[in-house]
Amino acid sequence: MEHILEVKDLQTSFLTSSGEVKAVRGVSFFVNKGESVGIVGESGSGKSVTSLSVMQLLVGTGKIIGGSVKLNGRELVGLSPKEMRSVRGKEVAMIFQDPMTSLNPLIPVGEQVGEMLWSHDKSLSKAQREERVIDLFRMVRIPEPETRLKSFPHEFSGGMRQRVMIAMALACKPDLLIADEPTTALDVSIQDQILKLMRSIQKEMGMSIMFITHDLGVVAELCSRVLVMYGGLIMEEANIYDVFENPLHPYTMGLIASIPDINQDKSKKLQPIIGSPPDMIHPPEGCPFAPRCPYTCRICLHQLPPVFSAGEGHKSRCWLLAEDAPSSGNPLKGRKGAKE
Amino acid sequence: MARYLIKRVLIMILTLFMIALLTFCLMHVVPGSPFTSQKQVSQAVLDALNAKYNLDDPLWKQFVDYMIGVLHFDFGPSYKYTGKTVNDFIEGGMPYSGTLGLITLVFVLLMSIPMGIVAALRNGKWQDMLLMFLATLGVTIPSFVIATGLLYIFSFKLGWTPVYGVDSWKGYILPMIAMGGYSISFLARLMRSSLLEVMGQDYIRTARAKGISEVRIIWKHALRNALIPVITVLGPTIANLLTGSFVIEKIFAIPGLGGYFVNSVTQRDYTTIMGMTIFYATVLIAMIFIVDIFYCLIDPRIKYE
Amino acid sequence: MTEENKWERVSGSTEEAERIYRKSRSFLGDVWFRFRHKPTALLGFILVVILLVFCLAGPAFTPYSYSEQNNKLASIPPLLTVYPGPEEGSYLYITQGLKLIEVDEDGNLIRQLKKKKDDNTNKQTSFTWDDDTLVYLDYSRLPNTVLDADGNRIETGLKKWNNTYRLGTDQLGRDILTRLMYGTRISLMVAFIAALVNMVIGIAYGGISGYLGGRTDTIMMRIVDIISTIPLTLYVILIKMCLDDGLLSIIIALSSVYWVDMARVVRGEMLSLKNQEFVLAARTIGSSTKTILLNHLIPNAMGPILVTVTMLIPSAIFMEAFMSFIGIGIAPPMASLGTMCNDATETLRTNPYQLFLPALVICIIMFAFNFVGDGLRDALDPKLKK
Repeated sequence: MEHILEVKDLQTSFLTSSGEVKAVRGVSFFVNKGESVGIVGESGSGKSVTSLSVMQLLVGTGKIIGGSVKLNGRELVGLSPKEMRSVRGKEVAMIFQDPMTSLNPLIPVGEQVGEMLWSHDKSLSKAQREERVIDLFRMVRIPEPETRLKSFPHEFSGGMRQRVMIAMALACKPDLLIADEPTTALDVSIQDQILKLMRSIQKEMGMSIMFITHDLGVVAELCSRVLVMYGGLIMEEANIYDVFENPLHPYTMGLIASIPDINQDKSKKLQPIIGSPPDMIHPPEGCPFAPRCPYTCRICLHQLPPVFSAGEGHKSRCWLLAEDAPSSGNPLKGRKGAKE
Repeated sequence: MARYLIKRVLIMILTLFMIALLTFCLMHVVPGSPFTSQKQVSQAVLDALNAKYNLDDPLWKQFVDYMIGVLHFDFGPSYKYTGKTVNDFIEGGMPYSGTLGLITLVFVLLMSIPMGIVAALRNGKWQDMLLMFLATLGVTIPSFVIATGLLYIFSFKLGWTPVYGVDSWKGYILPMIAMGGYSISFLARLMRSSLLEVMGQDYIRTARAKGISEVRIIWKHALRNALIPVITVLGPTIANLLTGSFVIEKIFAIPGLGGYFVNSVTQRDYTTIMGMTIFYATVLIAMIFIVDIFYCLIDPRIKYE
Repeated sequence: MTEENKWERVSGSTEEAERIYRKSRSFLGDVWFRFRHKPTALLGFILVVILLVFCLAGPAFTPYSYSEQNNKLASIPPLLTVYPGPEEGSYLYITQGLKLIEVDEDGNLIRQLKKKKDDNTNKQTSFTWDDDTLVYLDYSRLPNTVLDADGNRIETGLKKWNNTYRLGTDQLGRDILTRLMYGTRISLMVAFIAALVNMVIGIAYGGISGYLGGRTDTIMMRIVDIISTIPLTLYVILIKMCLDDGLLSIIIALSSVYWVDMARVVRGEMLSLKNQEFVLAARTIGSSTKTILLNHLIPNAMGPILVTVTMLIPSAIFMEAFMSFIGIGIAPPMASLGTMCNDATETLRTNPYQLFLPALVICIIMFAFNFVGDGLRDALDPKLKK
C-alpha cells in the first residue's frame, strides 16, 4: 500500500509577541491510499494545526519550522506559494468545522463550488462547470440541484451547507480529503447523515480521508486507524479495534473511560480526565501528559518518552512500555513493546 | 426586497415630517422663539409673512399652509431681507454647493477606499502605520483648522490657490481637501478594520483551500464583504460633508448654500433657517435612500428580511 | 532524578495538573495594564492631565487677566523681528499700525515711542527716543524698517521671543496665553457638562428602552433612528436659535442631542446583559427594577459607557468651536477656544498666530481625548487580550 501522505517530524509554531507557541512538536504519521485515519485530541493538542500545516493554510504568525510533508511522494514543505496553490484543492482538499462561516455569504453556492473547478481547470466552459456542479450536488445528496445552484448559503440548513462544502472539496477529485471537525457544529442526527455520506463517497472514489475530531465515537464510525494527539505530539497510533480493545497509553485509556455509557450503572460517576492542557509556550520537558496521568513516574516528568512499537502498526509514546519499566501497578505490563 | 424598500420610504417620509414639525415648533412655539417673542421685525417683513401665512391663524393651520408650500418647493419669504425669498437663496447657492459636494464625495471615495485597503493588506508594516497616522490626524484635527491651515500655507504664503471664491477650478482644491479630510480618515479606518476582519473569516480560509490566488481572493471574496460596512456608513458621511460645508464655505468665501445658511444664522433670518434646514434634511434623506437601495442590491441577505 | 529513582511513582498532583500558566489579574488591574501599555493612550492621558493643570492652575501664574486690554500693544506676536535701537541693548519693534515699541535685550516690551513727525513724501516717520534722540521708521518699501545712525535702512532684523506676552497679544492687546488658559477652561467646562448631561440622559433612555424591551424598545429606538438621520449639528443650531446668547444656552443646546449615541450603546448593553444569569438571580430574590438597573446592569455596562463619554468630549469641543465659527457661540468678553479662532480668521494673513495658537490647543484636546477613548476601548475589549 502506498502512502498518499507521509509526514515526518513535523514542527509548527506560532511566533507571537508573548513567545513561541509550539503547537506541533514533532509529529510523524502516514495515510495510505483509500484509508481513513482519525486524529483525536483535546482543544490545544495540535490536531488542527497539523492539518493546516499539511495544507499550508497557516495564517498570521504560524510557520512550519521543521519536518517534511510528502503528498504522493512530493515534498510540500518549501514549495513556492504558486506551486502550493495548484496542489490545494486538486490533490488535497479540506473541509472545515463551521459550514455557516466557511461559505462566502454574498456569492451563490453554485459559483463557489464552480470556482474550485475553475481554479484548477481553466479549459472548462461555464456550462460544463455548471453541469459538473450539478453532478456534485447530486453526489452529496442535495435535492433539486439545478435550482440550488443560485442559492445563497444562508438559505441552507447546517447539514446542507456542509454537503455543499463536501461537494466543493470533491470537485477536483483529490487524493486526500482532510476533514477538520466537520460534524462538531451539527446536530447528532445530521452528523450521522454526513458521516454516512462521507463513507459512501470514500468507497466510491477510493479517496483517503484524514478526519480530525475530539469525539472518539465519530472516529469509530468512520476510521480504520486512529492517532491520539496531546500537547503537540502523537501519544498513540493504532488501528480502530486496538484503540478501543487494547489501548496502550494512559491518555487513550482515560479518553475511552470518560465516554458516557448509556448502559452503565446510574450510580457510577462520569470519569473525566482531571486537569487542563499544558502551556504550549513553555511545554514541559517530559511527557506532556505527565501532570494529569495517574501512573506518572519520575522519569515521565523529566524525559520525553520515545515512541514504542507494540507490533502491527500499534505505537505508543509512554515510558510504561519501556524494557525496564516496573511491573507492579503498570497497566501496560505484559503488553510491552520495543523502542522505535 | 420590495417590502424592505417600501418600509424605508415610509420611514423617510415620517422622518421628514418630524423634522418639519420640529423645526416649525422650535420657531413658533418654544418661548423665546422668533415668532412669539418681541424680536425686532420690520413691518415689511411682517407684511410679507402675513401675506403668505396669515399669522393670525391658529398654529396648526399655519403649519399646514407651510407644509403645503414646502411640498410645492416654496419655502416662503426671507425674514430679514425684504423682497427676497428663501427659494432665491437656495437656488443661488445650489450650483456651488452641489459642485463642491459632489467632487468632495468622489474625492473622499477615491482616497479612502484604496488607503484602507493598502493599510489592511500591509497590516503592521510602515504603510499601515503611515496611513493610519494620517487618518488619525484627519479625524482629530477639526475641519476649520485644516481649512485655515491650508489657506494660510497654499494661498497666502505660496500663492498656488486663490484666496477666496471658486472662479477658477483651483478654487475648489483646498475646500475639497478640508471638507473631505474627516470623512477620508474615518472611511479609511473603517475600510481597513473591515477588510482585516473579513480576511480573518473562515470563508477566506476556504477560498485559500481552493488554491485560488491571493489577488483573486481579495478582489472577489474579501472586498465585496468588506465594503458593506463602508456603504452602510455612506449616509452619515454625506451628512457630515453637508454640515462641513457651512464652515468651509465661510472660510473660503464660496457663495454656496452653506454660506447662505451661516449668514441666515448670524442674521437671525428665521424663515431661511427653517427652509434651509428642511431642504438639507430632504436632500440628505434622499441620498441615504439611494445608498440604501445600493446596499440592498449588494447584500443578498437583506432581500429576505 | 537518578537512575535509581526514575521509576518512582509520583502522584498526579492536582495542583500541577490544574495549574493555569498565565498570571491572572483582577479586571480593573487588567484594564489599567492594557491601557498604560498602549503608548497613544498613555500619551493622551498625560495630555489630559497637563491640560487640566494648564487651565485650572495656570491663570494663577500669569500677571494678566483675560479681559485686560492694552490697545497700544495690540497684535504683537510671540516671536518678534526687532531692529537695533539707538542705545546698546535696546531694540525696536514695528507694530502693524506702524508704531515703534522699545524692546529690551530679553525681549521685554518697555514702552511705545511717541510719534514726532510724519514725512509723507519720503515715507518716513520720526519717533522720540529721548530728549535728544529721534528714531526713524521707513515705510517706503517692504519690509518696513528702521533707519540707522547714518540714515540707511537696516535691512535685516533679529528674532527675539516676546518676554512680556509669551504667546503674543490679540487685536485688543489682551494676553493670548492667559486667554488660552481661560478659553480652555470654558471649552472644557462646556464639553464636560454637555458630555455628562448627555451621558445621564442617554443612560436613562437607553437603559429603560433596553430593559423594557419589546414594543417600547422598538418605538423608542425608532425615535432615536429618526432623530439621528439628520445631522445633529442642524438640531444644535436650531435649538440655539431659540435661546439667548450665553454659556448656559450653549450647554443646553449641546446637551439636547448627543445623548442618542449613548442611548444606543446603553440599550445594546442592556439587551445583552439582561439575559445573563446574574440578572435572573437578582430577580429571583425579589429585587426591584430600579435596584437591578442601578446596582447590576449599569455598573456592568460601565465599560462601553465610559468609552462613549470619553468620545463625547471631543465631539462637544468640536461642536462648540464649530458654532463659534459660524457666529452663534459664546458672547464676549468670555472667550472659548472656538471664539478665539473665529475672531482671528479675519486677520489670518497678518497675524496667523492668533488663530493657530487656540487651534493648536483645540487639536491637543481632541487628540488627548480621542487617544484616551481609543485606549479605553481597546483595554476593555476582552477579545483583544494578548
